[in-house]
Amino acid sequence: MDIVTRRWWLMASFGAPLTLGLAAQSLGVRLDGDDLRIVAPQFHFLTGKSLEKLKDGASVAFLAQLSLSPEVNAPAIKRAVDRFIVSYDVWEEKFSVTQTGMERGTVTHLSSTAAEAWCLDRLTVGIEGLAPNKPFWIRLELRAEDARDQAGVVGDAGINLTRLIEIFSNPARAQQSRWEGIAGPVRLMDLKRERRGSRSG
Amino acid sequence: MKYALISLLISGASLWGGNQQPILQPVEFNVNSRYTVESVEVPREVESRISRGLRRDLQRLIGQKFNTQALNDLARRMREELNVRTVSQKVLRGKAPDHVKVVLEVAHKRAEFDLSVPKFLYHSSEGFSTAVDGNVILGNNRFSAGLVSDGDELAERYAGVRARYENRKLGSDRVHLRFEFDSYHQQWNRSTVNASEASAAAGGLYRSRQNFEPLASVMLTKTLTLSFGAGFQRFDTPLPAARTQSANAAISNLRYERRIEGWGADQHELEAGYSLRAATRILNSDFSYARHRWTVRYSVTRGRHSLTDEAIAGLITGRAPLFERYVLGTSSMLRGWNKYDLDPLGGSRVAYNSLDYRYGMFDVFYDTGAIWDAGQDAVARHSLGVGLRKNGFMVAMAFPVKGGRVTPTFMVGMNY
Repeated sequence: MDIVTRRWWLMASFGAPLTLGLAAQSLGVRLDGDDLRIVAPQFHFLTGKSLEKLKDGASVAFLAQLSLSPEVNAPAIKRAVDRFIVSYDVWEEKFSVTQTGMERGTVTHLSSTAAEAWCLDRLTVGIEGLAPNKPFWIRLELRAEDARDQAGVVGDAGINLTRLIEIFSNPARAQQSRWEGIAGPVRLMDLKRERRGSRSG
Repeated sequence: MKYALISLLISGASLWGGNQQPILQPVEFNVNSRYTVESVEVPREVESRISRGLRRDLQRLIGQKFNTQALNDLARRMREELNVRTVSQKVLRGKAPDHVKVVLEVAHKRAEFDLSVPKFLYHSSEGFSTAVDGNVILGNNRFSAGLVSDGDELAERYAGVRARYENRKLGSDRVHLRFEFDSYHQQWNRSTVNASEASAAAGGLYRSRQNFEPLASVMLTKTLTLSFGAGFQRFDTPLPAARTQSANAAISNLRYERRIEGWGADQHELEAGYSLRAATRILNSDFSYARHRWTVRYSVTRGRHSLTDEAIAGLITGRAPLFERYVLGTSSMLRGWNKYDLDPLGGSRVAYNSLDYRYGMFDVFYDTGAIWDAGQDAVARHSLGVGLRKNGFMVAMAFPVKGGRVTPTFMVGMNY
């Protein structure tokens, strides 16, 4: 039953990069109380067109999803979605981020790296229901919000989380900037539990 | 402090509904919203193409805190009015601390086709004048071809085809390039034919005319534009002594345009220009002349009230062909008078002023002007008129101020 053989680890180690392609970046995983968080200092999304728009003084909304699945391309068994609005102070040349999903908060005066780290650190998935010895994959998907999605996500009633999940179940649009990272296979029993609330960023 | 307040507002438990969906508060998430808008810049080539209402709303942003939503709405309106691909916005540091400058930029559609009617007019003494153009826009390039029949603008009625190519960005937004080719056939009023036979001051009649005109425009400053180029006109005189003549001229125009829309209710517009067409033997021209034209136009608008004064002066030295000569008594200059009664061949000197008051769609105007030739006395004529104008549509009745029987002129038209 849930026994991970040496061959399984070997196949997973070689197979995952081939399956995912080179686009996906590797993530670190940490256990913060009963929440899984990711650590990805090499994961940068304030780049390219999004960064250009920000430097032009516009705000850019990013949609993020953190999901757990038993295998690399299997459907997610747990997920968290969120929306972050980033803007760039043209006078102070610092970034500001507002989280507008289930949890809310705003931070200002950040460098681009710190702003990215803050967004990723706010994404958590609870571990309840996960067997400690069962391997799983954790995937981070991030997209710059398309104007056509905005109407469905942001309404008079607030953020529509169902619509956010639907967006991630469809491929990104051709012109849409997107980033992806993955970690796994990971077992809860291998993760060192940190003191709750000891967040970075 | 402000951000703490925002966070407090949006994270309050009262914002959460039973379906676990937070209610969005009207909070500005852009960190630049704490800065005051110092100026709003719109590309000069599109400024005149956007509605007065939109220009006013853009100006209203000045002095306000930067507001993403308001700016997005105005950019969307601008995109719709101009029918362009995108209107992007840049927020830059202002000159004063904590102030920002908003710069709007327009990206035209990669390919676009449209049909336009740049002129449609019925004039009770001149008949119909119409122009129809088909336009193709590819990036910064615009190709247009059209048909025209105009008995209003010149002493002649000309009808034929015209084609134009324009490049709106020749290396820089400040440099435009244009090539135009026209081919027309002429019809002449009996008065003009008779006057032509009796006068040698003006060039004779012709039955067809072709024009090729390359022109470059350079935006020297935000308000000043210089255009220069050449016009190569070739025309065939009527039978039996048919021959081809040419009037090749160097062209230069200097144009000043300034719009002042401040905080008050008044909006002021000032336009001034000088143009010169100098035909010379060096360009292998059969005619040698210099045609000068000065224009000044000032307009002030307050709410639904608008007052415009326009003054034009013109001088031709040398002997110029008929299409270069000045004409009064048209649908736009000294309205109410018949141009063939004033001077069927046109004049080499002109002085003209028009005062126009509008309230909403109602229009009242007073025109005065004189047209004459060298050695003649200038006789000032006046006319009055009333009309309605709405969205490019115009209907007007104009009366010449003179003794004896007065025949009003009726005009109805659009887009000119």
